Amino acid sequence: MTGFFKEVWSWLTTVDHKRIGILYGASALLFLLIGGTEALLMRTQLIVPGNDFLTAKAFNSMVTMHGTTMIFLVIMPLSAAFFNFLTPLMIGARDVAFPRLNALSYWIFFFGGVLLHISFVVGQIPRGGWFGYANLTSPTYTTDLSVDFWAMGLQVLGLASLIAAINFFVTIMNMRAPGMTLLKMPIFIWTTLVTQLLLIFALPVITVALVMITFDRKFGTGFFDPTLGGDVVLWQHLFWVFGHPEVYILILPAMGIVSEILSTFSKKPLFGYSVMVYSTCAIGFLGFAVWAHHMFTVGMGPWANAIFSAATMLIAVPTGVKIFNWIMTMWGGKIRFTTANLFAISFIAMFTMGGLSGVMHASPPIDAQHHDTYFVVAHFHYVLYGGAVMALFGGIYYWFPKVFGVYLNEAMGKAQFWLYMIGFNVTFFPMHFLGVQGMPRRNFVYAADQGWNFWNFVCTMGAYLTAIGGFVFIINVVYSLWFGKKAVGDDWNGRTLEWMIPSPPPVYNFAVEPTVDHLDEWWHRKYTSSGTRTDVQIEAHVDPSTIHLPGPSFWPLVMGFGIFVLAGGFFLDSYGATISIAGMLIVIISGYAWAFEDNG
Amino acid sequence: MSQTNLSIASIYKYVVRGLSALSFAFLTGCFEVAPMTTIHPVTEAGRDINYVYALTTAIAVFIFLAVAIPVVIALVRFRERPDDDGSIPEQVHGNVVLEFIWTIVPVILLIVIALPTWQVIFKQAAPASEKALKVEVIGHQWWWEFRYPDLGIVTANEIYLPENTEIDLSITSNDVLHSYWVPRFSGKVDCVPGHVNKDKFTTPLAKLAGGDYYQGQCVELCGLSHALMRFQAVVLKAEEWQRWVRAYKEPPVVVTSLEEQGSKIFNMHCASCHTINGTPSADLDIVKVGPNLTNFGDRKKMAAGIMENSVENLHRWIRNPGKVKQGVVKMIPYEEILAPQEIEAVAAYIRNSTVRKF
Repeated sequence: MTGFFKEVWSWLTTVDHKRIGILYGASALLFLLIGGTEALLMRTQLIVPGNDFLTAKAFNSMVTMHGTTMIFLVIMPLSAAFFNFLTPLMIGARDVAFPRLNALSYWIFFFGGVLLHISFVVGQIPRGGWFGYANLTSPTYTTDLSVDFWAMGLQVLGLASLIAAINFFVTIMNMRAPGMTLLKMPIFIWTTLVTQLLLIFALPVITVALVMITFDRKFGTGFFDPTLGGDVVLWQHLFWVFGHPEVYILILPAMGIVSEILSTFSKKPLFGYSVMVYSTCAIGFLGFAVWAHHMFTVGMGPWANAIFSAATMLIAVPTGVKIFNWIMTMWGGKIRFTTANLFAISFIAMFTMGGLSGVMHASPPIDAQHHDTYFVVAHFHYVLYGGAVMALFGGIYYWFPKVFGVYLNEAMGKAQFWLYMIGFNVTFFPMHFLGVQGMPRRNFVYAADQGWNFWNFVCTMGAYLTAIGGFVFIINVVYSLWFGKKAVGDDWNGRTLEWMIPSPPPVYNFAVEPTVDHLDEWWHRKYTSSGTRTDVQIEAHVDPSTIHLPGPSFWPLVMGFGIFVLAGGFFLDSYGATISIAGMLIVIISGYAWAFEDNG
Repeated sequence: MSQTNLSIASIYKYVVRGLSALSFAFLTGCFEVAPMTTIHPVTEAGRDINYVYALTTAIAVFIFLAVAIPVVIALVRFRERPDDDGSIPEQVHGNVVLEFIWTIVPVILLIVIALPTWQVIFKQAAPASEKALKVEVIGHQWWWEFRYPDLGIVTANEIYLPENTEIDLSITSNDVLHSYWVPRFSGKVDCVPGHVNKDKFTTPLAKLAGGDYYQGQCVELCGLSHALMRFQAVVLKAEEWQRWVRAYKEPPVVVTSLEEQGSKIFNMHCASCHTINGTPSADLDIVKVGPNLTNFGDRKKMAAGIMENSVENLHRWIRNPGKVKQGVVKMIPYEEILAPQEIEAVAAYIRNSTVRKF
């Protein structure tokens, strides 16, 4: 039993980027189960017109929590799992720049997720949409604590992401192996880097907006209250100045993953690497100039609509370049249809469709018809589900042997892929039709005479099919961890540095700091320029005690808990301030303890 | 070439066929004409939008083909064969000419979309002419108020409009965000508290006596019963419109003793929130928080377009509105105050006496 507690303790105090990555991934998949269940409840409610499976309140809560969960608790942390596990391995480093800070980000994220889900326990589930438009969130129109759970939950989660973003930015800028210049970094590291920059610039905006909404609710300010001279549209600008870069925060890591997978399984370098880098940067930059395309119907006037529509269309150019470069990466290669590659290839098709419906919405007149209908639901699910989530699953199948030393089962993997692929398209393609037929989003019920019955039924069937796919994945993970085929190190004939060390990687990552001469360094060590295999082997294990590593620390967990207590005080009328101050004290004390800790 | 040989040309043929079917499905919204379809507009404003939509869809399908066909060809031609010799393919790093082409071609296609887009934006944003019929649209949780400032008319949940007339809408909200949308007329316009947004369109000719009905609905999440905030737009023939405006100001017609009893109950219990023109309820100098019921008897649907205007539904509503529409608190459950017979009386009055002969 002491062995078990020792193991738990070692995970609670870990500062190893690989373990933190696994924690992020496991948490994200758990939340995926919750968010997916919420989606299934909504689809079940909409299976027939006039259904009363869910109440209006329950449905609006599912709408809100499905979006919030999938964005902040699934895609972002799942991307963070890859950032954590892979960044040091791909740049040839022993850990991230600030290992304890990395643990702190995870624990703050964990407590943020807990905070959001306490709302289920007390029956005050957020129901104002993941975008929380003012003034529905004002104390006049939402009297219970549901908005506060949402606002404080996002505030805490935002803090976690911001800390992590700074950490990864510093890591990538400062800790690359000798010789790895910026344009020799793997493309996934590039997308990670740009994503961190987007986070660093976008998160402060939502932080300010959430402080304002909390002030409106707790202290009677009127930033968003027209009866007090405030403006509801101000919230929309602030939210989308964050919210649109957020979309690229979700999709850029997926693009990086897809680039790595396609290149490996085509046995070719990424086509047009430097153009891919530039277009990643261009997308990141333009991502800040298009927020108001979420607001074409709010009444901004023709000039704002025209300019934001042009800026939005412009993003299609670097995105299109990426798509054609992925195709050319496969062209002339030797394509292996592994599960990981199937997910990556499907990403190209699904993301293209989501991108094209996005171009349609970039035109304000079309958007005026499609906005807030199921056409938009179809659009962003093609981008974020057919795109980001499919790519992340591809990433899981690709790097699972590296992380755990065993391959995921390919037969079950392919079954999951086809269930997902078919289920996804059966669910979301008909939503284009529903949107064109005028079905609004976020409606808990529709009437039988509105002409939406058939396709809604089809959508729900597709959702059930996907659920079976999710079930297959869970079985696959459990089965493979026990009985999976053993992985050694270079598990797919990879190209980047993480494949030159054993699977799973030893705690110190690289026994000897690698020196980099090429993009795709590991590939260049394995193959001469004429294409003959050299006799290079994966690195041998060495005694870990000979290598200096940062020691475990208990204080990131304590500080994360302090922030949880601090935020929790906002939910209580009596003793609320006292509890918040107590939380603040925990943060300060753990900060001191952290600073003076002998961490090796 | 044999039929069974799945050559690239035949794959290409199937892909093209499939996608042209797909784009047709898109354009037609697959396949029935739903009451709120966005692709069978009846106004010029709606047709302008639909033109941009059709053009963009065609370009989108073209681009999808330009992506899908090379992907399919690559997957077929460049898959690793079982008898692979283990050699590695040529390590191609890029091609400047190709990459230039797929940067510049999308730019050109986007300009083709952007030009008509801007044209329609500015056309729609130009102010309506002086002689247009002015209507104010006010969103409430969860019903619609329509005011005709030049005619002195206030109505709710069914917006009556004359045929072939330019309409100048001023759109706002009384509480939270809503969004006004009659898909077959034009795009949606948000109802923003503290702001007034404009929209304009010219109504089509009316076909049916008694008016052509078009469905509308709130499309911005506005609280619990957001899904239950629908309305009807009714386009009347010119002479019917004249009669409707005249009849709207006349008092209700009370015939039976039940209706007589109902009118008294209405004036006592309902008039502080609801108005029926030509009764004492119209003379109260207060802001009414409930829908105007002057022509309730004419309305096809009730409770903001969510159910048939029937005796049973009206009883159900008056007995406990919060049970029919979750979140309704301003109107209390009258089953706690009125006897069943009194509810029957007031419902008879509201339904029967307010039929406007036009």
